Amino acid sequence: MHELSFHETTFEKCLKCNACTVSCPISNTTLDFGGPKHLGPELKRMMDHQEVIDDSRIELCTLCGTCDTSCPENVHVSTLTSYAKAIHAKEKGTKFRDIVLSNAELVGKLASTFAPITNMTMKIKPVRKVMQMVLGIHADRQFPSYEFSNFKRRYNKKHATTERKVAYFTGCYATYNAPDVAGSFIKVMEYNGIDVAIPEQKCCGVPMFANGQMKQGLKNAQFNTNSLLEYTRQGYDIVMTCTSCTSAFKKEYASYLKTEEAKELARHIYDADEYLRILNEEGELNTNFATINAKVGYYAPCHMKGQGIGNPAMDILELIPGFEIQDMAAGCCGQCGTFGFKEEKYPYSLELGKTMATAVEELDADYTVTECGMCKNQLDQLTNKQVKHPMQILKSAYEKVPVNS
Amino acid sequence: MYDVIVVGQGLTGLLSAIVAKKQNKKVALVAKGTGKMLQSTGLMDLVPGSNKDFSQWMELYGLSNREKITVKDAINEFKRLTEKIGYQYVGDVDKLANIVTSSGHLKSTALYPKTITPIPEKGRVVIVGFTEIVDFQPEFLKGNLQKERPNLQIKTMSVSLGKDSQRTLTQLDAARVLDEKESREQILKQIKEKMKAESTEGVDLFIFPAALGVQQWEEVHTQFSSELKAKVTEAPGLPPNATAIRLHERLRKEAIKLGVRFYADTEVNGFSEKGTINEITIKMSNRSAKLQSYHLLICTGGILGGGLEQTAKGLKETTLHLSVNKEGSYVDLPDHVYPVGASLGTNVIHYGITGGVYSIVSSYLTNFQMEQSDMRGLQRA
Ligand SMILES: Cc1cc2nc3c(=O)[nH]c(=O)nc-3n(C[C@H](O)[C@H](O)[C@H](O)COP(=O)(O)OP(=O)(O)OC[C@H]3O[C@@H](n4cnc5c(N)ncnc54)[C@H](O)[C@@H]3O)c2cc1C
Ligand code: SF4
Ligand code: SF4
Ligand code: SF4
Repeated sequence: MHELSFHETTFEKCLKCNACTVSCPISNTTLDFGGPKHLGPELKRMMDHQEVIDDSRIELCTLCGTCDTSCPENVHVSTLTSYAKAIHAKEKGTKFRDIVLSNAELVGKLASTFAPITNMTMKIKPVRKVMQMVLGIHADRQFPSYEFSNFKRRYNKKHATTERKVAYFTGCYATYNAPDVAGSFIKVMEYNGIDVAIPEQKCCGVPMFANGQMKQGLKNAQFNTNSLLEYTRQGYDIVMTCTSCTSAFKKEYASYLKTEEAKELARHIYDADEYLRILNEEGELNTNFATINAKVGYYAPCHMKGQGIGNPAMDILELIPGFEIQDMAAGCCGQCGTFGFKEEKYPYSLELGKTMATAVEELDADYTVTECGMCKNQLDQLTNKQVKHPMQILKSAYEKVPVNS
Repeated sequence: MYDVIVVGQGLTGLLSAIVAKKQNKKVALVAKGTGKMLQSTGLMDLVPGSNKDFSQWMELYGLSNREKITVKDAINEFKRLTEKIGYQYVGDVDKLANIVTSSGHLKSTALYPKTITPIPEKGRVVIVGFTEIVDFQPEFLKGNLQKERPNLQIKTMSVSLGKDSQRTLTQLDAARVLDEKESREQILKQIKEKMKAESTEGVDLFIFPAALGVQQWEEVHTQFSSELKAKVTEAPGLPPNATAIRLHERLRKEAIKLGVRFYADTEVNGFSEKGTINEITIKMSNRSAKLQSYHLLICTGGILGGGLEQTAKGLKETTLHLSVNKEGSYVDLPDHVYPVGASLGTNVIHYGITGGVYSIVSSYLTNFQMEQSDMRGLQRA
């Protein structure tokens, strides 16, 4: 028995209706990919009857989860493809590059320590050429910049003292690349009289799952589950500013770990905008926003769309007077976490991003809003509009309110 | 609190959400998966699988003559919408069109996209298949079409898409290949060469699989008809048909752009025990939540869509867990809950399915009912 054989029975309901493949952004961009119906339920069915099958095409799956949302039979297609990835990594070995990329946290720690050097080095052409040759990271791919004053160095409170208590799972992106997003979130909570604690945490594991590093990913998942449950059991709500992190805690942890603890935790996880929307519904949100006259395009990350929460970022931002925001309905960004950094995936990534770039151009708004740091990376590269996180906008809407009002 | 919650994202749900949103309402759409449109032909039939005409259809669906105008309004509204989203539908409920399917049989339909040309009684026809698409066999199509239309002169040919693939190619894959200009050119070149070799001339109509582009269908259609100097049509068959995917993608996009809030991968599972049906329970993976609205539209597609379940004890309603009669219609309908399309029960289902035209008309009519209910509410207040 292969050690990666796993228990997952939802595939038995598959009607082979093709809705998942018709909706999969990768299948719609390249014929090189087998598609979710084949690499998910069909492969699993075969594997349950015979030995393990390794299909290298699975590398192209980005774990965006679109297949899950399109399946009328509630087959957990992306759980199946994530295990197919793990099997592939085990059979074929993992490139050093993919181990590096999947370890967003370690890279973050190192890169932010040497932040000015990292940021500069990543812009030097010859260095990038060498990186492409040695590491297989495409030389033309822009990188998010790293901040020396990473969020851990800025804020590290372990307990909250207000009645509503929030424990903030920062995630690698807001910790190392965008401490301003994390800082804005803390401020927004402050304006609402809510204290924020930062629990012990490791990377959510999303980049590991996507690179077939299932074991390491599960270790992180277990660590985070234990750490965060200590908080929820004391009445904390867990809030996150990265929609891939929220999606991992709400969906993947429970599907992969299959423990009661993971399920218990899933019920306490909120995306930051989702949390603010709850405050608003309960009449607790501070809605004293200054007017911001702007016309803005919203880009919805795949991992937000899969959560079944409507569109909380727009619901909250629409409360700001003068703020006009329009969903661009733009499809997949093509960065897809670590996918778009890889030399051999780079052309697919650019092809995928085309519809998004066109949508941004057509709307011609003042700037773009999205919750996902990786989507931002692609937007930064393919469009000429500035990209902001909802928390940054909310913070300035609070700050701009005249003091005596 | 939403003004309207729509359950289901098939044709009925998407249209209902768009119509409601255009009235400036706050609209949410909750669905556990895509609807059946992805498996359909994209043709809007009156009664799929039959040749029933408009007056028979009105009778079948219990619509009075007085409602004829409303039905026509609904159809016109649908045509305007499809034009706006860049995928125009044409046709007429009073005069059904004969469309060829990929099996070569003719099918009468009411509304069809501009990529489709009805089949003439006589003339010269060339059927073009793609070698990579096994679902579409020109010779097979020819055999059946010839029986239906003995006065047609039919030729066939197969050309290559010129693409290697890691999976069995579908009509939709071919359509995405044709979105690329270079592919179109090399395909046209092959067709022209074959025509020259066989001295095929004076062709009236070319028949292709339902694969003439997805985003770029208009360019594909224009370029093919002008370079081949003939009319061009698609023959829909085994799903996924580009004819249907285009409509589905565009309707979804339009709804999102208008600001309809999508709750995907989410199942509606009853309503709040203590409260009223104004508050429904939704179930996502590992979590559940509550959503509130003034109106609730049930567009769950009946038996085929998952809204009704056939059990040993008869039909069961899966969404709100309310009682239904043996036809699957609600016994005691609360006044702010509106079943739409196939959710109305088996009396709107004939030969197993409800046609697209009924989805269109039903979502339009329901919107009227909602408006009337809002007016009554205002009068009372
Ligand atoms: C294979 C097939 C091919 C067809 N081809 C044609 C054709 O070519 N031409 C034609 O005119 N008609 C065709 N039809 C008929 C077609 O059913 C109707 O035209 C129409 O598309 C039905 O749409 P609908 O929106 O009412 O239901 P559906 O498309 O079935 O949508 C139902 C929706 O409800 C959701 N749902 C159900 N229960 C719940 C719940 N509890 N919670 C949340 N969501 C729920 C489902 O996930 C889905 O999104 C075809 C039907 C089938 C099955
Ligand atoms: S997770 Fe995304 S890329 Fe992977 S199969 Fe599903 S839809 Fe396709
Ligand atoms: S959408 Fe679901 S039922 Fe349909 S083929 Fe994919 S996994 Fe199977
Ligand atoms: S998903 Fe979250 S934790 Fe994981 S890499 Fe992105 S930001 Fe970091």
